[in-house]
Amino acid sequence: MAIPEFLNTIEQSALSTWIRETDSIFGFYFVLLLHNFALATLVGPSAFIDLRLLGAARQIPVKSLKPLYNVITLGIALATVTGVLLLIAYPTKALTNPLFYFKLLVIGFGVATVYRLKAKVFDNDSMSESEMIVAGKTMAKWSIVLWIAAITAGRLLAYTYTHLLYGQGE
Amino acid sequence: MNLAHLHLLLNHWPIIGTLIAFALYAVSFLGKNEDLRRGGLIIFAAMALLSIPTFLSGLAAQAWMKHDTITTALMKRHENAALLTLGLILVTGTLSLWGLWQTYRDGHMAKWATASILLFATLTVIMVIRTGNTGGDIRHTEVREHPDAMVTEGTFGSIVHAFEPNAAKFGHAMSYTKWCTAILMDLHFVGLCLVIGAIGITDLRIMGLAKVIPLKLLHQLVPWGLLGLGINVVTGLMTYIGEPTDYNFDAPFWLKMGALMLLGLNAGVFYLSGTFDHIQRLGAGDDAPISAKLIATSSLVLWVAVIVLGRYIQVYSHNMPLPPT
Repeated sequence: MAIPEFLNTIEQSALSTWIRETDSIFGFYFVLLLHNFALATLVGPSAFIDLRLLGAARQIPVKSLKPLYNVITLGIALATVTGVLLLIAYPTKALTNPLFYFKLLVIGFGVATVYRLKAKVFDNDSMSESEMIVAGKTMAKWSIVLWIAAITAGRLLAYTYTHLLYGQGE
Repeated sequence: MNLAHLHLLLNHWPIIGTLIAFALYAVSFLGKNEDLRRGGLIIFAAMALLSIPTFLSGLAAQAWMKHDTITTALMKRHENAALLTLGLILVTGTLSLWGLWQTYRDGHMAKWATASILLFATLTVIMVIRTGNTGGDIRHTEVREHPDAMVTEGTFGSIVHAFEPNAAKFGHAMSYTKWCTAILMDLHFVGLCLVIGAIGITDLRIMGLAKVIPLKLLHQLVPWGLLGLGINVVTGLMTYIGEPTDYNFDAPFWLKMGALMLLGLNAGVFYLSGTFDHIQRLGAGDDAPISAKLIATSSLVLWVAVIVLGRYIQVYSHNMPLPPT
């Protein structure tokens, strides 16, 4: 299958070239590092909420965990910005790999689950602790599964690409 | 200075520490002395942590050794013994932390925990002695039984030898395909999220974020953080053993190990200085004391350092001076 020309256009752009080739410490690996931090800021607190709903640390009031959504939102914002920059740096590498689309899909569901959980469980002040747990349990399970799938897919992108740059590879 | 220095600096500590911890733990049964038992468990956990850079620096130190036939055979024997010791000391350290957790939660340790710590501590003692002896043989010709002969085993050595793994084969298995590394690294990221989810959030709460979360209850999440740490110690070591030369001359890698040791020290200060006891009296809305805030800040800074340095391992491999060939 021919690789679309627009990927080459993105790769030749000044920003893409700069991220890949600059000698500055703020180049590719720095963006990748921030993407890692975003992952930890997003999945860490989300996993905390999920584990609590599934029975860990029972004495902590579920309600008190609501402020963690601010941390999660910060993580999502940072992951999106750094993710787009990484995509601009290596568009051919990402967009010719089916796994990348799977990753996007899983992340879409993951983010949707996180905010659905917030809307259904945490934004409803009339719910008791036990009602919150009943309402949130299934979403918590899905959230854990989706985040592990997203991490796995993201990690494996480094091992499964066929074209690193436009005109390279098969 | 090179990494052989680091190995010489570190290698006696896990041996002496394990023997002291074992003595404290054993004596604690005689007088039913809980403080001695706790002391023993804390030292076991600390030695497990310290054994990580000791093992790593040992593999790195090999690069500086003269590879004649005898030395190579002796180093191989020492490495095999060290790999088994590392496994045992990590199990003992993990069980010790679990025992400390049970004591905190229930006021006493479960019988199975007490017994399994005793079992694994005994095996660890046997193996640190074996590892110390085989390590000494490499450099100290005066203590070898047959100075000019190849590797020889006495009664003790030949029994223990039957149980020792082949470190080289183990390493090959870890890097057999790129998928082994890929899966190990994937789990390493999952562990990272658990650590940040449990310990990072606790740090942030102590520092003053999300004060509605009752501080004393947040501590119940610590085992999940330790599970994440455990996953990462195991997957990290397995990846290292797969390709040690990728890491031996890598400055971010050694700095990351240094940050990990400081995190152990930080945790020690937190639990043993009375700060933890203070935290245990604080509920929702309460502000943590300044000492706790300092410890939490240094914990968070060190975890960030671990992530940064880990990310740059790949970028800076082979940036340290190589041994003369």
